[in-house]
Amino acid sequence: MSTDPGPPRDEGVAAEGDADVLELPAASRTTAIALDELELVYAFIYARVGNRPDAEDLTQQVAMKAIPRLRQGAPASAIRGYLFATARSVLGAFWSTRLGLSEAELHEDLAMAIPAGPPSEEPAERARRILEGLSDNYRRVLELRFLHGYSLKEVAKEMRSTVGAVKVMQLRALRAAAKVRLDG
Amino acid sequence: MGENPENRVDRIVNDLLRGRRLRLRGGDAEEKEAITAAARLVAAGQGAQRMHPAFRKRLAAALESAPKGGWLTRRGAMVAGLGIAAGAVVGGLAGRALEPVRAPEALGPRKINPIPGRWVDVGALADFSEGQGKRVSAGGVGAYLFRTGSTVTAVSSICSHLPCELQWNGGNGVLDCPCHPASFRPDGAPTNQSYSLPHLDLVSVRVTDAGRVEVLGT
Repeated sequence: MSTDPGPPRDEGVAAEGDADVLELPAASRTTAIALDELELVYAFIYARVGNRPDAEDLTQQVAMKAIPRLRQGAPASAIRGYLFATARSVLGAFWSTRLGLSEAELHEDLAMAIPAGPPSEEPAERARRILEGLSDNYRRVLELRFLHGYSLKEVAKEMRSTVGAVKVMQLRALRAAAKVRLDG
Repeated sequence: MGENPENRVDRIVNDLLRGRRLRLRGGDAEEKEAITAAARLVAAGQGAQRMHPAFRKRLAAALESAPKGGWLTRRGAMVAGLGIAAGAVVGGLAGRALEPVRAPEALGPRKINPIPGRWVDVGALADFSEGQGKRVSAGGVGAYLFRTGSTVTAVSSICSHLPCELQWNGGNGVLDCPCHPASFRPDGAPTNQSYSLPHLDLVSVRVTDAGRVEVLGT
C-alpha cells in the first residue's frame, strides 16, 4: 500500500545514449527538468487531494524523499516510476495522518489506486466518468455542487428540495462516487 | 461532538471548494470514502493542474541552492535527468535542499543581523498588547512582536520552511503559516513535533527609556 517504495532498482547500468535514458541536460536546464518531472507528480497528487496547499506540501515531500535516493545508473523509466511510488507512499501517510487511521486500515482503493505513471485522461473526463456512473439525482447534485460551484441553497432551489435533503443527498452521492474507479 | 455525517462531509466539501486544505477532525474517518471522493471530484472539476508559479519558483530556488557535497555523480544526475547536477550546477543533494528540516544541530534559532542595520521605531510600548502578536516592519525586516510586561521579544514574520508571511492566530496564540500545516509559538519554536521545522529566526528588539519599541532593521 503506502510503504516506502525503497530506492529504484538498477536495471543494469544504462549506457549513455540508450533510448530510455534521459540525455545529459545543460547545466542551466537541469532544474527545469527536475521541475518538469515534479509537475507530473504535482498533478497526480492534486487529483487526489483536491487542493493546492496540500498538493504543494506533498509534492515537496516527494522531492525530498525521492531525489536523494535516486541511484546512479537508474534508467529514466525507473526514475519516474520511483517518483510515483514515492508519491503513493506520501499520499498513504497523508490520508493515514489526516484520518487518524493506520495505513493498513486505509482501503486499497481509497488512496492507493494509483497507476504506474501519470493518468492519461483529462480531469474533466475523469469527472464525466464518475458522474455517469451515478443515478440522476446523485449526478445532478454533484454536477451542481462540484462542477458549477453552487451552494447547497442554490442546489436545493434548482432541485426543488431542501438544504437538509440536499446535504444528505450530497453525502450519499459522494459515497456512491467513491465506488467509481477513476484509474486504470 | 455528535456532528451529523452530512454536516461533517459538507464542511469538508466547502473547504475544498474554497481551495482550502483538508482539515479533518476526529470521526471524519467514518466518511473516508466520501471525503476522498469529494477531493477527487473537486480536482477533476478544476481541470488539469500545474504548479503555481510561486511554488515552482520556490522548488527551483531550493534545487539551485542545494549545498555542496553531492550524492550523485555527474553521470548519476545525467542518467536520472532530474537536475541533481552533481558538480555542474548545484553539485549537491537536491533533496536536502527541499527538506523542511535543517540538521539537528542547526535547529536552534538564528538571529537576523542586517548589514548595515539600524534601529527602527515601530511604536510605543503601550501600543503592544500582552499575549498578542503584532506584525511590524523595520525596513526590509518583517517581525512579529510579543510584549511581556515591559519587555518585548520578536521573531521573523517569515516561515522557516516556505517563504510565506506568517499570520497571527490569536485564538491559539500561535503564528500560522498559510502555505502549509505549520505553526510557531511566540518564541519561534515550531508547535508540531511530527512536522519538524527549524526555529523561526529571531529579530533584535529593544525598548527605549522613552517607552518606544525599536527593531533592528534596514
